[in-house]
Amino acid sequence: MKCEYCDIIEEKNNLLYEDDDVVVAVRDVAVTPGQISVIPKQHFTIFEQVPPDIVTKCSIMANKVSVSVFEGLGSQGTNIIVKNGTGAGQTVPHFAMDIIPRQEEDGLNLQWQSKQLMEDEMDMAFSTLKDALNPTAITVKKVKDESVKPEKVKEEKGKENYMLKSLKRIP
Amino acid sequence: MQPQQQMTPEQQKELEEKIKNMSPEELQEFQKQQCIFCQILAGKVPSKKIYEDEKCIAVLDVNPAAKGHVIVIPKEHYAIMPQIPDTEISHLFLIAQKMSQVILKSLKSAGTSIFVANGLAAGQRAQHFMIHVIPRRDGDKILDVEDKIIDKELVHKVTSSVQNKLNEHLGIKKEVVDVKEKDPEPKKSNNKKSEDNKKTKKIKDTEDVGLDDIANLFK
Repeated sequence: MKCEYCDIIEEKNNLLYEDDDVVVAVRDVAVTPGQISVIPKQHFTIFEQVPPDIVTKCSIMANKVSVSVFEGLGSQGTNIIVKNGTGAGQTVPHFAMDIIPRQEEDGLNLQWQSKQLMEDEMDMAFSTLKDALNPTAITVKKVKDESVKPEKVKEEKGKENYMLKSLKRIP
Repeated sequence: MQPQQQMTPEQQKELEEKIKNMSPEELQEFQKQQCIFCQILAGKVPSKKIYEDEKCIAVLDVNPAAKGHVIVIPKEHYAIMPQIPDTEISHLFLIAQKMSQVILKSLKSAGTSIFVANGLAAGQRAQHFMIHVIPRRDGDKILDVEDKIIDKELVHKVTSSVQNKLNEHLGIKKEVVDVKEKDPEPKKSNNKKSEDNKKTKKIKDTEDVGLDDIANLFK
């Protein structure tokens, strides 16, 4: 499969930096002149597939590129954007972090209309995300039902000193 | 300190004068006291906290672009990204990745946008650095900007302007041939080009804007 970013990596188009893991490239198709992408060499399609060491490398590199853009182009701001998934406008199936130089009144509109959500919609999103983040929470709840001291069961999952603290708290 | 909205014009003036005379350290301390996100972190302002560790928290944005819009906020008060040390910036992005994963999985969105704004010109509204993780779906018109083809000469100019600085920050000692000098002076061959040239010139003119200036643009 032909991938635009794999091409950039292979043909070394406008590269600012290259090592075994990542390249930094000035883009010739971009939202604004001066847009620079940090691209892992390995072809990961979405953010979730990128291993922690590469995420670490990319984010540090993005920060350094951002500083260099401030200094080298005299930009007044930068945006760092990851388009993750087709729903987010990702057109190239290869994860990248884009650094976009900004000037006052440069005509780029990267603001959004804030959505008016009902309180219960916020609550729903909150509990959905929280539960998804801690899948154990559901099992803890089950234990809770049987347990006389639910607090204690919950605390046991935390660090040891937390447990000690909670033990002291329980009358 | 007094909340700004309840000030008389005299007090306002006095405060502005005070800000002007502050050292960078004092200014940062002052920003911290005024910062809504530091107040959220201190628990003085309520928030819907999804995640917390020793370095950061993740909460629901109160002015969300979409349902489930999460922001990852460092506990330390940094105004913009360049002030953040490497270990911390990578941690924040790893947590953003985790948040993105959770959003994709549980809210069944068709994607996420990871978004950072550094500086007022980039649309940064609060003076506390944060990473936005926004659930996306087709046609939601969030961060809807189109790519265009960038003039080749402009790409070269950017490359040479940024290259040395980036090498500096990466600790690479390599003299880079200045592409600018090799290029012939761009002629006004068409309208689009001359517009691009103007833009580069504008960029050059503002070269001595410092990072602190960017960080301190907020009041």
